[in-house]
Amino acid sequence: MIKLTIDGKEIEAQEGTTVLEAAEAAGVFVPTLCHHPQLTPYGGCRLCMVEVEGAGTLQPSCTLPATNGMAVKTNTQKVLDARKFVLTLIFSERNHFCMYCQVSGGDCELQNRAYDEGMTHWDLQPNWQPFEVDASHPFMVLDNNRCILCRRCVRACGELVGNYTLGFEERGADSLLVADYNVPFGESSCISCGTCVQICPTGAIIDRQSAYQGKETEVDHHIGVCVECSVGCQRDVLTRDNRLIRIEGEWDAVLNHGLLCDKGRFLPLEDDRARLLTPLVRKDGSLKAATWDDAMKAIAEGLGKGKGLAAIASTRLPIEDLALFKSVFADALQAGLVTTLEEGKATASLAKMAEKLGKPFESNLDVLKDTDAVLSLELDLVDEHQVAGFFVKRQIADGTKLVVADGKGNKLAENASFKLDLKAGDENAFLAKLYEATQNETGDEDFDKAAKLLKNAKKPVIVYGEGFAAHADEKALETLLEISESLGAELVGVKGNANSMAASQLGLEAPIKVNGHKSAFVMLGDEEPSQKLVKQLEEVPFVVALSAYGSQLTGNADVVLPVTMWAEQSGTYMNMDGRMQKAVQALEIPEGVLTSRETLLKISESLSIETDADWKTKVTSRTPTVEIKEV
Amino acid sequence: MSLLDIDERILQVVELVDLRATPITDLKEPDEDGVTVGILEGGINNTYNEEIAKKMRERCKILVALGDCAVFGGVPAMRNFVGADAALQRAYVEAESNDSEGKIPSSPELAQMTRVRAVSEVVPVDLFIPGCPPDADVIFYALVELAQGRIPEIKNKNLHWH
Repeated sequence: MIKLTIDGKEIEAQEGTTVLEAAEAAGVFVPTLCHHPQLTPYGGCRLCMVEVEGAGTLQPSCTLPATNGMAVKTNTQKVLDARKFVLTLIFSERNHFCMYCQVSGGDCELQNRAYDEGMTHWDLQPNWQPFEVDASHPFMVLDNNRCILCRRCVRACGELVGNYTLGFEERGADSLLVADYNVPFGESSCISCGTCVQICPTGAIIDRQSAYQGKETEVDHHIGVCVECSVGCQRDVLTRDNRLIRIEGEWDAVLNHGLLCDKGRFLPLEDDRARLLTPLVRKDGSLKAATWDDAMKAIAEGLGKGKGLAAIASTRLPIEDLALFKSVFADALQAGLVTTLEEGKATASLAKMAEKLGKPFESNLDVLKDTDAVLSLELDLVDEHQVAGFFVKRQIADGTKLVVADGKGNKLAENASFKLDLKAGDENAFLAKLYEATQNETGDEDFDKAAKLLKNAKKPVIVYGEGFAAHADEKALETLLEISESLGAELVGVKGNANSMAASQLGLEAPIKVNGHKSAFVMLGDEEPSQKLVKQLEEVPFVVALSAYGSQLTGNADVVLPVTMWAEQSGTYMNMDGRMQKAVQALEIPEGVLTSRETLLKISESLSIETDADWKTKVTSRTPTVEIKEV
Repeated sequence: MSLLDIDERILQVVELVDLRATPITDLKEPDEDGVTVGILEGGINNTYNEEIAKKMRERCKILVALGDCAVFGGVPAMRNFVGADAALQRAYVEAESNDSEGKIPSSPELAQMTRVRAVSEVVPVDLFIPGCPPDADVIFYALVELAQGRIPEIKNKNLHWH
């Protein structure tokens, strides 16, 4: 610990902290613009200047290390004058006329800082140099006229996401924020994660979906877990008057620290599927609008029970719903098939291995954030579970090596030191050969070099996804464990949908085989059913579908019950590393619609079934692949 | 016109001041021997605005710039990014509402268009009240303070630029 004084206050700080961090910890506000807690200190805007005793000039507190005995002053006239001058220069450089800017009125850090300093006007007029606006991107507008050259977006794109799309062209006042080598933003290498738009302090990068729809002061916040995949990012769903405005990553979240991907941030607002708002019952061959009571009657008549009944649920639904679903269909109705749309592809083999070992064998996602070598098995983290991919990609510039084993096109392989061919079904032979390469040389140059790379790594991680888990048998997994032990490598299993692991814990992971089933109950929630499932269910005489949206499956069903979509329901989710997090309701439920849980209870009541609401014990009693944590 | 946003409170203001000249009274210009406070709305867009600003400066002890146009240049200043010629061409010739023979006015009696400027770029300003428009409460507060011989403090909740 070191001791310093800030504005006369004695402060203790950890060695290695900056003066800015020490001031913040002591409750002293120092204004910043280019600084962001998730980024490496940059010292670009000079707004955070402070007076340090003994120093000839003002110092930028964001990059200045705090040292023992330092005396810092943050509010002398000299500091205040410098702040105003810095802001004056920034305002004079480009078009910062607030009255025609999207973020004016509370959402602009530049404007807020000017208010803090009591700036009623600008001492320098702008230089009136126009810059082109790039509106080619589907989700964002890039307006260099509003840019203050803080480079937060450029740094976030590289440091946090590892995508390196954004950069600067030219120098000084001509500096131009560009995508790639100045191609239209919409045609660039951008992956639409939206971190840049979230981190931009001004209106230089604008979110198209929410532009002019509501300022910070006018929106409601709903912070919870993202339900688009099993990474389990924390996000903030912003609504206004019961309308989705935009989704932002939670900067304070331990796991994703503000990051989201396009699936979690932009795409949920693009959903234009036809909403179901009333129950439908098939009468004389066609589906007709019905009351909930009519629908319950039809279910009581046609659903049946026992072997002839198949029940399938979406892993996008909360654990509470899945556990109740199991209680109704497996325990009470003794259905012949009780499973999920995912069919346990990403989990079943791994869960069996954990049961056999009697303990978890996978590590949590954090190991991917700090590793020097990654072996990826049949998994493309650029395409799916993208935020986990960001953790890997962003370390590559610092020397982290990547070995990608896959049998099909894999975008992560663009960054790989070695690409190994691993065709689906060949897992045993592949792993045996890799194990051999870690022990002796195999003669296959790529294998030997990849094995050597992994062996020499200090913190190697082996990460695998559904492609691997769906094909790996017990022997393959045993070899994988041997390899991990011999390399000292951590294992990370990327599961499927948001509640993939919870479904596995509940034992809902049987393959869907429709074989003489008389009836089927499909709890889709807001999941879009696959063509394969639609085809499979065509053979089933009586189908009940719980769905938020109309689809071919609901069109073919005999009873359709309108249920909530992700934003209208709350509940618990267990992400791929066993972290239990809450999703929160952001929108009111439309009239006539129920949550899947309420629907299940209604059906149970109409069938006089006793249900068991305890889901916690059920979801934690099976030996998990990775330790379960309640957050 | 934003002055009228203070509604009936304008009667309280009138009681406190001796109103010498406004654009809607008989007297359009402040007395030659000077007044205490002069308020200017709008940016300096042409040579005529320049003359007014200079005359106001000469005759007012305290010159106030009221509103974002007077303080910063405001929305009209958008034309500075394209230049006066392009702005005139767009407005008088190319605009969809014009007939096919659109013509840029060029009478010698018209003031010459200039770059749009904040009032403070042309003459010194003593008090800035930004806002587009400034809140009625801020306007009322500022007028009452000025009328009672004090300089209002435009900060914290009273400070808004838009």
